[in-house]
Amino acid sequence: MSASFHERIERSLSDADLQAALDANADKRIAVRQQAFASIPDYQQRRQRAHDVRSEVIQNLDEYLAAFLRRVAENGIMVHRAANAAQAVQIVLEIARQKHARLIAKSKTMVSEEINLNHALEAQGLRVVETDLGEFIIQLRGEPPSHIITPAVHLRRAQVGETFHEKLGMPYTDSIPEMTQAARQTLRQIFLSADIGLSGVNFGVVESGALCLLTNEGNGRMVTTVPDVHIALMGIERLVPTLDDLALMLSLLPRSATGQKMTVYASLIHSPRQPGEVDGPRVRHLIVVDNGRNALRQTPLAEILYCIRCGACLNACPVFREIGGHAYVGKRGENSTYPGPVGSVLSPALFGQAEFAHLARASSLCGACREACPVDIDLPRLLLRVRAGGVNLGADQAPASAPGFLKQGLRVFGWAAVAPWRYRLAQRLAGFFSRLVSPFSPWLRLPAFTGWGFSKDFPRPAIKPFSDWMSHREKTSGDSTVQSAAKATLTPFSPDAAHQDEQFPLHAAVQQVDLVTTFKRELEALDGVFTVCQLDELGERLLALLRERNIEHILAWEQDDLPDGLLAYLIQHGIRCSHQPNADLQAGLTGALAGVAETATLLLPAGRGKPLTASLLPPLHMAVLRAEHIYPHLQAALKLPEVRLASSLAMISGPSRTADIEMTLTLGVHGPKEVHVFCVLTPASESASKMNHP
Amino acid sequence: MSDEVQLFITCLLDTLYPHVGQAVVRVLERAGVKVKFPPGQTCCGQPAFNAGMRLEARKMAIHTIEVFESAPGPVVVPSGSCAAMIRHSYAELFAGDEHWLPRAQTLAGRTYELTEFLVDVLQVTELGARFPGPVTYHASCHLLRELGVSRQPRALLAAVKDVFPAPDGSEQPLRFVELPRVEECCGFGGVFSVEYPQISAAMLQRKIENIEQTVAQTIVVCDAGCMTHINGGLHRKRKPQRVVHIAEVLDSGGKSR
Repeated sequence: MSASFHERIERSLSDADLQAALDANADKRIAVRQQAFASIPDYQQRRQRAHDVRSEVIQNLDEYLAAFLRRVAENGIMVHRAANAAQAVQIVLEIARQKHARLIAKSKTMVSEEINLNHALEAQGLRVVETDLGEFIIQLRGEPPSHIITPAVHLRRAQVGETFHEKLGMPYTDSIPEMTQAARQTLRQIFLSADIGLSGVNFGVVESGALCLLTNEGNGRMVTTVPDVHIALMGIERLVPTLDDLALMLSLLPRSATGQKMTVYASLIHSPRQPGEVDGPRVRHLIVVDNGRNALRQTPLAEILYCIRCGACLNACPVFREIGGHAYVGKRGENSTYPGPVGSVLSPALFGQAEFAHLARASSLCGACREACPVDIDLPRLLLRVRAGGVNLGADQAPASAPGFLKQGLRVFGWAAVAPWRYRLAQRLAGFFSRLVSPFSPWLRLPAFTGWGFSKDFPRPAIKPFSDWMSHREKTSGDSTVQSAAKATLTPFSPDAAHQDEQFPLHAAVQQVDLVTTFKRELEALDGVFTVCQLDELGERLLALLRERNIEHILAWEQDDLPDGLLAYLIQHGIRCSHQPNADLQAGLTGALAGVAETATLLLPAGRGKPLTASLLPPLHMAVLRAEHIYPHLQAALKLPEVRLASSLAMISGPSRTADIEMTLTLGVHGPKEVHVFCVLTPASESASKMNHP
Repeated sequence: MSDEVQLFITCLLDTLYPHVGQAVVRVLERAGVKVKFPPGQTCCGQPAFNAGMRLEARKMAIHTIEVFESAPGPVVVPSGSCAAMIRHSYAELFAGDEHWLPRAQTLAGRTYELTEFLVDVLQVTELGARFPGPVTYHASCHLLRELGVSRQPRALLAAVKDVFPAPDGSEQPLRFVELPRVEECCGFGGVFSVEYPQISAAMLQRKIENIEQTVAQTIVVCDAGCMTHINGGLHRKRKPQRVVHIAEVLDSGGKSR
């Protein structure tokens, strides 16, 4: 047991603000997750497939990692391998030194927390600014994240208001939209002036060497698009073999993490800026960090490497709900980077059994974490393995991490339990002595230090155990105990058969519905605007919207990737169209490679004449999507050859959003606050020839 | 298969609740099977296993395997967590052990939790029991998530009659109300409740608040651990509600034998 862990637990339990925040988190997250999974009835099958995919990767990690890094390097990204935290930090510092960098804009990466990167960079005089709203708040407060998905989940809005008042000098407000606007303005300047953008990686795709990065606010797209240099930090295990596998993971991760069908922004990054492109970093670095992961593969805790960092186990865990992420500390009070059930396995596995094993004991083993895990990691089993020795389990005298009093007690109990006569004697003694302590009540009031007595009474052991009664009964009644009434015959039965729940019918829903209608419904659910129009009406519709907003100057894709004559029409009607990144413009106009109906996702490739910033910097994003380019699922859309050929690909599902303050949804954080999709119906004859693309 | 079952009463029921054990025997007999009680049975080893003390846990598990090897037929366990220990955790405990793993698996293959055995194997739900309603049900974690047992106890409760007749004098089913957050852990977790009493207490407090949101005075469970824990909290807080084992309900007011 760890004294500081116990102190943290007590502090958490007596902190009313924290308790309110944690309750709200659990109630909301569990509900939205269940709701989100209701839309994929084949969830259990997907979950098993995802488990198998992750298992395959971890088993053959050397081969997958080598193939992945080869592709990444071929794509023009600088690859670095770091064996440990110190090496990873050194590589970042060296890149920053060569670039003469002063300011680094960072999107959320748990690996950077793991290697304590901010501290090391700041020690070298660099300014590091966290750009995820939740991370930004806790950075201002000098705190570590308390949750891997929602880092400021422990705070109430008034606390954030005070922090902003104190640190940003703005008047105190507890209005979440106002606070979000303040963060947008502050961080917009950071994105535009940062020398380096630093991000994590949610998945590396082996077959194409793509880095997949998910954010809702748009900060992930900002740091990987706007600064001249991009550094991506990634744990070596975060791989999926194919784009199909990626699509599978993307159907599970956002649903598990935030209850969204799809994260607002999913970037697929292949290479740095290509000749002819006007934006995107000129240099991209990938740093893959081992930091104990490879060694972990050979241990009984290897399965924890399957984790895709969705945070669902934290939200489901009744212990996390009581104590919050900051309570998870090591023996010496050091923060456990990863809190909750996953952290209670990962921290002892990566950072020391002696320092962190006690975390795995703070679990009732109720199994809610495993039930919530989208890749079916058997977390209770792993927690039990940590308790029994963790990475050293199986070594003959793996020391149990149990506290001394418990070890002694259980040894005595075990000694009695393997010899029935000792066991019976112990039962009798318990029955006898408990009557001395509590002669008149069937309950024992134990003192608080026993643990049990802290909050509950214990029933007095029986003076005559059941076994006495039963043995006596068997002796006296012989074989006559069988009752003739309601006699049933025993039928063969396998325990596993009962374990299987009703099978869901295979998911075939989306194929049968009108893809356009589905896209519209899903986009509107995300607060986007969907307009269906004929090709010859498109110009008028766009113009009407721009005039309504008094916008005369837009950041647009070039004509080649938009319907014929569109820009000429707009220019003719007094709209200026620029193609260079410009943060002052109020509207962006893009086409789209494809749309995904199920999640209202637009696929926007980077490329010559297709500035990425057109869908990122302006507060209004107008996208032209051809109806025939709408696909039912992401998996199908990701098969388009353009996906692999693009230097990067932005997948956009609705307006930029955050729920980092009290889980209250606020639109327009770093990316556009408004997304208007103009779905163009093309005559059938024309569309047939364009089926294979824009 | 014979119509004889081996009862594994479990250490908690044996020591703390002999009356529940007696109810289990009577219920099984009413369901038409002969109940045998292999002598020498003690504890399945779960406390030591959960504490991380696998050496001690193995000794107790081996003892349990040996005791039941000499007794043929299905093994019925009236406590979900202990049944799950044998069914699932013995395989973990004896992983890679050529001698004990097959023997553990053989035992696991013939071990059933009580309600699962009654409903799925014997296909009995109607036992002629009468009990005073309203009651509610707490879904014990290991029973629900490791054994997947949930519909069985509910089906058994649905067949119980209320001791109070309907206004017109006719028999009515036992009044049942759903417990809010029925699948949330009560905070027992074996050694956890002793090692981290504060967290355990906070979880128990939630469970008690949820119980108080119902009109039920009786909470039915299929696990001796949850029963001990929730009752201990209710008694400490001087609450009138009580947790009972499902066998007590099924044995109650039964037709005379």
